[in-house]
Amino acid sequence: MKINRFVSIPWHLIFIATIFILIFPIIFAVGSSFKSLQDAYNNVLNIIPIQPTLENYQIFFNSLPAIQITVNTFIIAAVVTIFKVITSFLAAYAFVYFQFRGKTVLYFLLISTIFIPFTVTMIPNYLIISKIGLTDSIWGVILPQLADALGIFLMRQSMKTIPMSLIEVAQLDNLSHVQIMRDIVLPLIKPAVTSTGIWFFISSWNEYVWPVLILKTTDNFTLPLALQMYISSEGGTNFTVAMAVSVITMIIPLALYLAFQRYIVGTFTSSGIK
Amino acid sequence: MKEIRFENVWKSYGKTEVVKGLNFTIKEGERLILLGPSGCGKSTTLRMIAGLEEITSGELYMNDRVVNDVPSGKRDVAMVFQNYALYPHMNVVDNITYGLRVQKVPRSETRNRLDAALKMLKLEGYENRLPKDLSGGQRQRVALARAVVKKSNYFLLDEPLSNLDAQLRVSARKELVKIHELYRQTIVYVTHDQIEAMTVGDRIALMNEGKLQMLDTPENVYHRPANIFTAKFIGSPPTNVVEVTYLDGKIMFGNQSFQLSPMWVKQVEQSKTSKVAFGIRPEHLEINKTANKNTLKGTVKYVENQGNSYGVYVDLQGDEVIALSESKYWSQGETVYLKPFMNHIHLFNCETTNSIGYPAELDQEETTLERVLIHE
Repeated sequence: MKINRFVSIPWHLIFIATIFILIFPIIFAVGSSFKSLQDAYNNVLNIIPIQPTLENYQIFFNSLPAIQITVNTFIIAAVVTIFKVITSFLAAYAFVYFQFRGKTVLYFLLISTIFIPFTVTMIPNYLIISKIGLTDSIWGVILPQLADALGIFLMRQSMKTIPMSLIEVAQLDNLSHVQIMRDIVLPLIKPAVTSTGIWFFISSWNEYVWPVLILKTTDNFTLPLALQMYISSEGGTNFTVAMAVSVITMIIPLALYLAFQRYIVGTFTSSGIK
Repeated sequence: MKEIRFENVWKSYGKTEVVKGLNFTIKEGERLILLGPSGCGKSTTLRMIAGLEEITSGELYMNDRVVNDVPSGKRDVAMVFQNYALYPHMNVVDNITYGLRVQKVPRSETRNRLDAALKMLKLEGYENRLPKDLSGGQRQRVALARAVVKKSNYFLLDEPLSNLDAQLRVSARKELVKIHELYRQTIVYVTHDQIEAMTVGDRIALMNEGKLQMLDTPENVYHRPANIFTAKFIGSPPTNVVEVTYLDGKIMFGNQSFQLSPMWVKQVEQSKTSKVAFGIRPEHLEINKTANKNTLKGTVKYVENQGNSYGVYVDLQGDEVIALSESKYWSQGETVYLKPFMNHIHLFNCETTNSIGYPAELDQEETTLERVLIHE
């Protein structure tokens, strides 16, 4: 196919501008995190620091248990992701391949929970967690998040694209449900599983409201909570430190995205199984 | 006995009855064709044998055992699906052997069965390809190979050739018969294609609206249709069926009459039917421009090119019949004379739509004819 170079120029300009708008805050954050506060205020738009410094990172690491906070964030996100993926997969499998009474009603109820705002469930959840004594514990953050209706919905949708005859062939070969899940369904919806997993991970990683309710001591904090300490009124105006914490917050999800990029893009471009 | 027996089997989805009281036996080692128009319940019937569809009422016997509640994995059944149902993420070898691996068939045995199947179905050289890199015909053969290596006693095929082009279908049909002659499983084969049914089947079970219409050899289904539906469904163009009146050895088409031969007169008198339907295949209806003894007068409506012959649509006092002719020189509105071959007519009871039967003399005549042909 011959590409018309002249027609594509305006498009390229639009793309470049869009990418610049998306990427500029990130470059700005990375640049600022290596600046002294003085430098940052004097040369706001100069992205490259005049005298690069690790001072901001040092402040963060000295004033808060930074490693512990990062590890906390990672444990919460990882456990939540793994459990949500497993529960969503199993529930979706049951909704697609099992026939049972009240299936439609149950599914409808489940899906309707997607539309209930977090603020509604926040207080009951908090009361339950405090009754079982899990406040100020990362497990208190994890516990109410082990299943997710949206995850069930997304996985059910992709399982439904698998032709029923593939499952029937497996049934004729006397396969157990575990074998069908492991050898047939999972490989076929791997892109969907991976991308919902990534999505679960990132939303848990960035979560602020729920952890801030549960976690009290800095040793149990997560990265968004630590970040908040530098941008809130009590934290002062040391925004270069906040930028350093932002960079740390961003690195792990970004690395994950780069590692799984193929699957994430694949989920949006693949159209069923032929 | 590896036979399959239906005893008053019904299947309904809610209030919709799909299969209505099936009673028949599929003999061990035969190739039985389930034939019928779409929605007639033939696929549902097959899926009930496979255990993929629950039986609403009645009993299904396989190997002299009621299998209503036996899960499909325990029915000793191999099935080929219309869409082949190959696992898209597995290559040809894995697709064929996955079931055997799960069943813990010894590795050397698996290897032997795989090699034999690959060879027989000409799949050598494609072992490592994924289904998406295969042509339609190759995919169909992989699906067949996967079913063959199971060495099941029952082999079910759900329109296995309908996604192939006409030429491939002919060769695939032969392959299928070849496989069956090698393994002699009990084959149940669903199709809506009557040519496939005729060429593959030992017997044909013709279904319509959830009911069995006729179960017999392809020859009998074609030459001795049990009812009007069978007569009209089998053959292309379909059998002409016209409602007529029987009177004193004659068939009355409006004010025209047609003299039946004595054997047919006897047959009709025995059946005590006066409202009869007269059936004749287009190829058994001679069309002439001149009147002759015992012919019916009509006018040409239009002529259709059938390739090897021409289908002439004739108006017979309000009833439309088709006659096949080698000549294309028929013009619209022209008066023509039709002569049905007496040995090839079919008579049905108008009320029950069932055949009134065939004179015994007809069968004897045919056997004599066959003998003559064999001796020649």
